[in-house]
Amino acid sequence: MSDRLLEVRDLATTFATAGGPLPAVGGVSFDLNQNETLGIVGESGSGKTVLSRTIMGLQPRTNVTVSGSARLNGFEVVGASEEAKRGIWGTEVAMVFQDPMTSLNPVMRIGKQIDEVLRVRLGMDKAAAKARAIELLELVGIPSPVERYRAYPGQLSGGMRQRVVIAIALACSPKLLMADEPTTGLDVTIQAQILNLLDRLKSQLQMSVILVTHDLGVVATRTSRIIVMYAGRVVETGSTRDVFQNHRMPYTRALLESSPKVASHSHTRLQAIPGRPPNLMKLTAGCAFAPRCAYATERCHRERPELTAAEGPGHAFACWNPLPTTRGAS
Amino acid sequence: MARYLIRRVVMLVGIVFVISVGAFYLIHLLPGDPAVVILGTGDSPQNRAILFKELGLNKPIWDQYFIWMRNILHGNLGTSFISQTSVAGTIRAALPIDLELIVLSQILAFATAIPAAMRSARKPDGPLDRVLGATSFTLLSIPPFIIIVLLVLFIAIKLQIPHTGPSSYVSFSSDWIGNLESLALPAFTLAIASFVVYYRVLRSDLIATLQEEFITLARSKGLSSRRIMWRHAFRPSSVALLGTAGVNIGGLLASGFVVQYLLAIPGLGYTLISAIAQSDYLLVQGIVLVVSVGVIVINFLFDFIINLVDPRISRE
Amino acid sequence: MSDQLEELTLINRPEKSRPLGLLFWICVGWVGLNIFGAIFANLLPLPDPLFQNYSAINVGPGIHHLLGTDDLGRDIFSRIVFGSRVSLAVGAGAMLIGFGLGAPLGMLAAYRRGRFDAIFTTFMYVLLAFPAIIATIAVLSFWTPRALVKIIVVIGLASVPLVYRVIRTATMGIATKDYVVAARIQGATDTRILFKELLPNVAPIGVSFLLIGIATVITLEGALAFLGLSVNPPTPSWGNMINESRTVLAQNPWLVIFPSLALCLFLLCLNFIGDRLRSHFDVTEVKL
Ligand SMILES: Nc1ncnc2c1ncn2[C@@H]1O[C@H](COP(=O)(O)OP(=O)(O)O)[C@@H](O)[C@H]1O
Ligand code: SF4
Ligand SMILES: [Mg+2]
Repeated sequence: MSDRLLEVRDLATTFATAGGPLPAVGGVSFDLNQNETLGIVGESGSGKTVLSRTIMGLQPRTNVTVSGSARLNGFEVVGASEEAKRGIWGTEVAMVFQDPMTSLNPVMRIGKQIDEVLRVRLGMDKAAAKARAIELLELVGIPSPVERYRAYPGQLSGGMRQRVVIAIALACSPKLLMADEPTTGLDVTIQAQILNLLDRLKSQLQMSVILVTHDLGVVATRTSRIIVMYAGRVVETGSTRDVFQNHRMPYTRALLESSPKVASHSHTRLQAIPGRPPNLMKLTAGCAFAPRCAYATERCHRERPELTAAEGPGHAFACWNPLPTTRGAS
Repeated sequence: MARYLIRRVVMLVGIVFVISVGAFYLIHLLPGDPAVVILGTGDSPQNRAILFKELGLNKPIWDQYFIWMRNILHGNLGTSFISQTSVAGTIRAALPIDLELIVLSQILAFATAIPAAMRSARKPDGPLDRVLGATSFTLLSIPPFIIIVLLVLFIAIKLQIPHTGPSSYVSFSSDWIGNLESLALPAFTLAIASFVVYYRVLRSDLIATLQEEFITLARSKGLSSRRIMWRHAFRPSSVALLGTAGVNIGGLLASGFVVQYLLAIPGLGYTLISAIAQSDYLLVQGIVLVVSVGVIVINFLFDFIINLVDPRISRE
Repeated sequence: MSDQLEELTLINRPEKSRPLGLLFWICVGWVGLNIFGAIFANLLPLPDPLFQNYSAINVGPGIHHLLGTDDLGRDIFSRIVFGSRVSLAVGAGAMLIGFGLGAPLGMLAAYRRGRFDAIFTTFMYVLLAFPAIIATIAVLSFWTPRALVKIIVVIGLASVPLVYRVIRTATMGIATKDYVVAARIQGATDTRILFKELLPNVAPIGVSFLLIGIATVITLEGALAFLGLSVNPPTPSWGNMINESRTVLAQNPWLVIFPSLALCLFLLCLNFIGDRLRSHFDVTEVKL
């Protein structure tokens, strides 16, 4: 397909830690088209951040092994040198980070943090960069951008800082925007504002977006497709509709039932997922969810289920004892 | 910021007051009649009369302090009865040498410590980091007075390099190249001592800063490693470095005394040790006062610079 | 989030749980040997360090004089062994004073907080701003005649604010930990908390700082001796020996090399032991 922007194949990231290798992401594959919004969901620690950084080639520079492939607009990210990747960072793909309290340089004026990209990456002169930076601040909805231009991050609220981070990400008009839990660190009232801003910018600027979150409620209305991750692997994927209504994997259901917004829609009681996410350094041969799964059988502990196609377009799940399909029933 | 500054200035004034009382009281630590001790070899009825008038020695001790303080505020640190010269004048002649030594050594120390720390921090535990770490750790255990003796032994005496040995100091005004040559070993010695501290402090802060999320964001902007290091990592990491440099000034001056003493360079240190040897207590007192106040003021300036570097500090 | 952070720090500080290692024990052995030599110098078969043998002046290292003799024909090895007494006495004595005053105050201030803490901390920070070495030079040049005890007292007092700051910071880190707070809530007495909960946890930090403090103090005494402000000759001390060698540097370089080596090796070992203990106990860098 000609409008294919990103192809991820068998992507795996392993950290070398003092306690041994830690497989944070294992064998992830998916595609993303232009102007599409993809959701990646999973509990905290399921490897979403590592996955999205690996796709960008932004993993730490030491003690990491990456295998597989991630082609972004024809550029193979895996194995590319830092120098080569610099060519796509900002212009092809940019990232909005989780915590706006830590992702801005505390001792640099925010205007300068935006200017810098424009001058270094787009070769703008000082005056042009400043004018553009103020435009960008305006675009992301920061009131009185001319004054804010000279502010330090510490002088802004969390929501405002996240807008600044978004402005930086948008500075070089990337084709793909990675938003890694862009609202997790923010007040509930601000969350919707930021998500709506991202929505608006996406259609205004014709970008693809990967929206990473631990909260299915966030992606319910904003994505066309969803990837559900557990212990660094994709356990279910499909159209947003299929994942919400025809999910087959018990973990997906557990996630749905633990999400306040979604659960209230489906009239079920809000339930925390019992147990804790597994220690990635001590994964067994079986399904990683087995110790917490109500449907687990002996086979689940022995053998890991691979992704299997389901009925819906692109819908697949990894489970030996899938939930009954509800397709057509609703 | 303004409140912070006011608080610091009040503290500064307080400390300077404490120092002045301490320096004043030094004379009274001496056993016996202060007049006899101060006059030393210059004990004569006329000098005795001048001294009593200048120091108010027959008045209560607090009056003595105020008389002494008033003189100092007028730039008068007294007259040495041993060398028959004004203490302030002697200090004014010697001080520039100390300043030159410190400036030279700090340029050397920063110019080497910053790039070294950056290389180490780029690859912690890499081969370069290990070598630099072991070297700096070893140097940490070699006091400046040993470094300078060994340097003089090998460079001035064994290699016979001119202008580097004892008593070969050349003043700046007479021959500036000779002056730099004669200060090369002392400046190098002080630079080593500073390098070790600066390198270690900056390295550990840089490593911590490079773990920060905003560095990843800077990387994701497509900036070069060099730019990230200098523009993004260096400034937030330099707070402890500046603080250390400020605190280090006192030790640096003292190390300066040591090298001056060995090479007979007529700075404050050499003057001080000679004054102690000749029991010229007014001169000793004057130098101690000037040096201590100088150190405190420099410390204060460093604090101020740190605030400019990191706006978070004064906001806290 | 938090366990992610933990893992990050794990990667960056692999020395966290590193064993103490052979070098550590070699250093401990060397320090022990020095202490032994200093204590039993009188009993060891050494020539008199003050005896001037004019028939053997400036002799190089050899059989009769292990490390040679100085310009007055005194045995260098013997002088180094006897000279270590001054360094060790100053190191131990000054730190005894520094820790004796600084450590209890620091712990108490961190535990009590409030006004007690505010007053002491401000006072100590004012003292800290004053360069210790210059204060020491000043006091020692006026407080004549010089004697070892005075030197120990002056350096010891000068180190109090530094010890206070280190111990206070360390205690504050521990006093806010869950188990201490829990003990407090359960009504444990102050003495009990101070001795049973805080002291055992502050002690490792104190010990590693103590070693580095001793090294710093010994360096300071060396510098004073070099400037002629420590114990008076002919009493040997490492700093004195280096000072005396200045005038005969060209004729007899051994005279400076051996005492320098003795001093630097000793300092290196102390620093190394302190540093290893610090990373062994996972104490964050304490700046001197
Ligand atoms: N730099 C790293 N070194 C070692 N382990 C890491 C590193 N970064 C992340 N991890 C581990 O990878 C796993 C996945 O983390 P992450 O991708 O941040 O999860 P999520 O974003 O889904 O909450 C976690 O177990 C985390 O501890
Ligand atoms: S494979 Fe077994 S353990 Fe894993 S989710 Fe399915 S039923 Fe549960
Ligand atoms: Mg994450």
